[in-house]
Amino acid sequence: MSEDDNPQSKSRRHFISKLLMGGGLFASSALLLRHGLDYIFPSMESPPMKKLLIGRIDQIKLGEAKEVQVGESTLYLIRNEDGYKVFSSVCTHLGCKVNWEAHRNRFYCPCHKGIFDLQGNVVEGPPPRPLDEFKVEVDKNLVYMWIEEKSRRTV
Amino acid sequence: MSAKIKKWFMERVPFNQENTSKVMSEIFLREPIPKHMKNWYYALGATPLILFAFMVVTGILLTFYYIPSPDKAYESVRYITEEVSMGYWIRGIHRWASNLMVIAIILHMVRVFFTRGYRKPRELNWIIGILMLGVTLTLCFTGYSMVYNQLSFWATTVGTNMIKEIPLVGNTVLGLLRGGEEVSSNTLTRFFNLHIGFLPTVLFILIVVHIVFVRMHGVSKVEGNENEETYAFYPEHFYHTIIVALFLLAFISALTVILPPGLGEPADPKVTPAHIKPEWYFFAVYSLLKFIPLKVGIYLMIALVIAATFWPFIDDILRKKWPKLRAHYMVGSLTIVLFLFFTVYEIIVY
Amino acid sequence: MSENNNSLSTQKLLVGIFSILLLIVLIIVAAVEMKQTHEPDLVVDISGINKSCVNCHTQKGIAVKAIDHWKQSLHAQQNISCTDCHTAEEGDFDAFYCPESDFLVAKHPTPKDCAQCHEQQVNEFADSKHAHQFWLIKNTDRSIFENPISTRHGCEQCHNIGNLWPDGSIGECDACHPKHTFSKAVARQPETCGECHIGPDHPHIEIYLESKHGNIFRAQEKNLDMNYSSKDGKAIPIDIPVCSTCHMDGNETQPMTHNVSARLAWESQSAWSFRTVWLDETLGNWEMKRSRMESICKSCHSPDFIGTYLLTADLVNFQYNEMRRLMVGYNKKLTENGTISRLEKDGKFYSDPLLNGWDEEPEYLMYHAWHHQGRRFRHGAIMMGADYTQWHGIWELQDDMVNMLKFAAEQGDTEAIKWVQSNDPIKFAPYALYDIPGNAFGINVLSNTLPYVYNAYPDYWERIEANVRTVYENGLLSEDQWRLWSKRCENKDHYLGTKYNADSVYKIYTDRDVIDTKAMNKQAVELKLPGKPFWIW
Repeated sequence: MSEDDNPQSKSRRHFISKLLMGGGLFASSALLLRHGLDYIFPSMESPPMKKLLIGRIDQIKLGEAKEVQVGESTLYLIRNEDGYKVFSSVCTHLGCKVNWEAHRNRFYCPCHKGIFDLQGNVVEGPPPRPLDEFKVEVDKNLVYMWIEEKSRRTV
Repeated sequence: MSAKIKKWFMERVPFNQENTSKVMSEIFLREPIPKHMKNWYYALGATPLILFAFMVVTGILLTFYYIPSPDKAYESVRYITEEVSMGYWIRGIHRWASNLMVIAIILHMVRVFFTRGYRKPRELNWIIGILMLGVTLTLCFTGYSMVYNQLSFWATTVGTNMIKEIPLVGNTVLGLLRGGEEVSSNTLTRFFNLHIGFLPTVLFILIVVHIVFVRMHGVSKVEGNENEETYAFYPEHFYHTIIVALFLLAFISALTVILPPGLGEPADPKVTPAHIKPEWYFFAVYSLLKFIPLKVGIYLMIALVIAATFWPFIDDILRKKWPKLRAHYMVGSLTIVLFLFFTVYEIIVY
Repeated sequence: MSENNNSLSTQKLLVGIFSILLLIVLIIVAAVEMKQTHEPDLVVDISGINKSCVNCHTQKGIAVKAIDHWKQSLHAQQNISCTDCHTAEEGDFDAFYCPESDFLVAKHPTPKDCAQCHEQQVNEFADSKHAHQFWLIKNTDRSIFENPISTRHGCEQCHNIGNLWPDGSIGECDACHPKHTFSKAVARQPETCGECHIGPDHPHIEIYLESKHGNIFRAQEKNLDMNYSSKDGKAIPIDIPVCSTCHMDGNETQPMTHNVSARLAWESQSAWSFRTVWLDETLGNWEMKRSRMESICKSCHSPDFIGTYLLTADLVNFQYNEMRRLMVGYNKKLTENGTISRLEKDGKFYSDPLLNGWDEEPEYLMYHAWHHQGRRFRHGAIMMGADYTQWHGIWELQDDMVNMLKFAAEQGDTEAIKWVQSNDPIKFAPYALYDIPGNAFGINVLSNTLPYVYNAYPDYWERIEANVRTVYENGLLSEDQWRLWSKRCENKDHYLGTKYNADSVYKIYTDRDVIDTKAMNKQAVELKLPGKPFWIW
């Protein structure tokens, strides 16, 4: 009890408990916040990729395009000087489906007259960037593309 | 700069600053708390409130990922639990806090009951409390069905079937809840709606009213010691609350790590599992219903609920008739003993 | 006032303590990870024309399970679906229009279809003895014994693995890779090989399962993931070999192959054992093939063990030939002197005294001594099936030989009569012998004191050495094998264990044996019952 009466030790005790409280509260609420944010922003780890067979090399000549159906989405497999390419058919402007016009060698978006060339680059019109491209792999006479693995993991 | 902002703000939101802060401090900071509240057992009223706050926060977080559709409900719960970082923790807090909330409410009620905290003029607040208990249990029931695993699906089926037995309105209420003949996607979306929208709102309003009543009447003194000393809510009781909140969060988090929320088998409307059970706080009712016909059981339940609701008045009448009789001791003890008996019986026997 | 302050400071302390407690728990929370209850199912995209196939088949309930199987396959994951394999052109041997549609589909995808993607595997397979139509080439005479309907679901079903298709492709990939999952795990399951490599003529699955390899596999198979890829020169990921591990899988030093003949040094299924010459020009000689197998063995075993084990097995194969020589010799002799005769019609023979025959005892014995016991004897020795080398092997072979000689003696063959009447213990070795000092597993100081030949013939090892040298000089043993054999022979006292003395230990067991014999005699042999026999002699 005598120690309690000593004002110096008393103030030291007050200081320690205050420090403990402040530090503890700060640290725990910081960690709490971190956990919460961790939960809210799911890790953006990209899903594993998988290889899809989309055609054989004898099915497509230089400068030709072929429509490929993968699940619900339509893609274009084309063959240009650089080899094989797979483009999404979704216009980079506002998401309409672009059409392949064989006689003009171009992709044409009917919504706002966007035009893309064989390399997927914008030739004319409002689209802000080239068509989305997928990685392509040619194995002997088979053409594969790489897409993200879909699973029920992402519901 | 800050003065400028303050001026801009005060011009647009004109309120009497001085008066407000005075009222605030009067209401919250300097709320007189009777001395006996320093005993932890008397501070249980704040616990359900803290747990309710946990439930609200984690509940909102859960809706970020939960999908209320029979095809995806289970899978999304699995996703939250197993895939989302910290998901199991959020779900675990939600689940354990709900259990602890029921316990805390029961303890709070027991305290109020035995100290006759409901006595005149606080009868209405007791009734609000009973309503809150009902809403909480309904929240638990609807929340349990969200998981959409075998147990929760069949508990929902059985639980809603009992509603049918309520006289006069049973079938209508059942149809309203299920949105059809069977437990279906309609049931799930309705339950979801009740669970995250209607019921929490009702509970929130009731909590506000409950606290307002407490403030209007003041915290009840111990019977026979009406001149008890008081102290201010802030700082001491405030710290009390903080400590309880911190302890609960740590305790629940630890529980989640030790006993993580399970998943079970996905719901299959074609197969009833061999052992279905409700959550533990329904064990007593569940057990009782095995001994007596369903109809009788339902009537008994209704009678019990009515008696509990109007207990302050019943107690008053009894006291007038037999002033010596400590009716609330007997009724309270009997209820607790019966509740514990049937709960334990259900755990042991089945 | 002071009391109030104190209690407030205690409260603050409590807040601090509990917030630190919370902090600790939160750290633990972050460290804990939830176990996955199951791998999420991958979503299979079915698009284009294949959607029509799947919808119609599902609707009409035709081969729906086949579609389910396909959905589990890696093919489905890679968008390789119905029409990629079941593609047909007008005029193809198996082209047909799907009922109520204008889809021209192939009924039987053949290795040609598989080769679109799996060209290497199909080619390797075609180069293997799995694809060899030997039964068509060799066994015209065999077809008289079993009528065709019996062979439809008999031999044909297994030999289908080397089916020769109208489109010129060879093989039946789904014999091992079941359609339509084409699962690697199923193909690797020993029972897949055991669908055919089973039974009295080549009980390979039985031999495997009674071997240490098979036993450990059975014990651990639940924990093994058999779906691994073996293509990329990685270590074999399973700890215990199944059939395909040694015969097909790749490891760090060997590429994976679908040519099961690439690692085999023997034609030990043949009537006579001989070093294989199968596709020597591309696969290399038997030593090359053996070294491929040894590269796989070395994943787990030491070179010394592998060398000794396989050398011993090789000598068993040579030994078989000497026994075969005797069986064939007598068949030939009995045929030539007219005791037995060949099956014949219009100048064409349907049995062969050097190979088989069906209607006379010596022919029959000779056939069994090759096609059944002879193979079990040799294959058991190569694949660690001790019981098959012993009881289903050498015992039955000797039995065949004794019966053959008895038959010849009854028919008046003077040499056979002499053999039957002889009391010389060495009469059961009427052929040259091979041997190796000791075995691959260790040294036994006692077992080699037993064999009659070791004790009765002082020049035994010289005679053996001459035989082994001869096969070596004829290129049937490798340089290394000969060196290994010679080393063992030079130190045979060590390898045979005869230079070690364990008499004191041995005595304990001889003493126990005396007690055992006494007990047996007392309890059984010398036991006399009072009741008379019911049949009086």
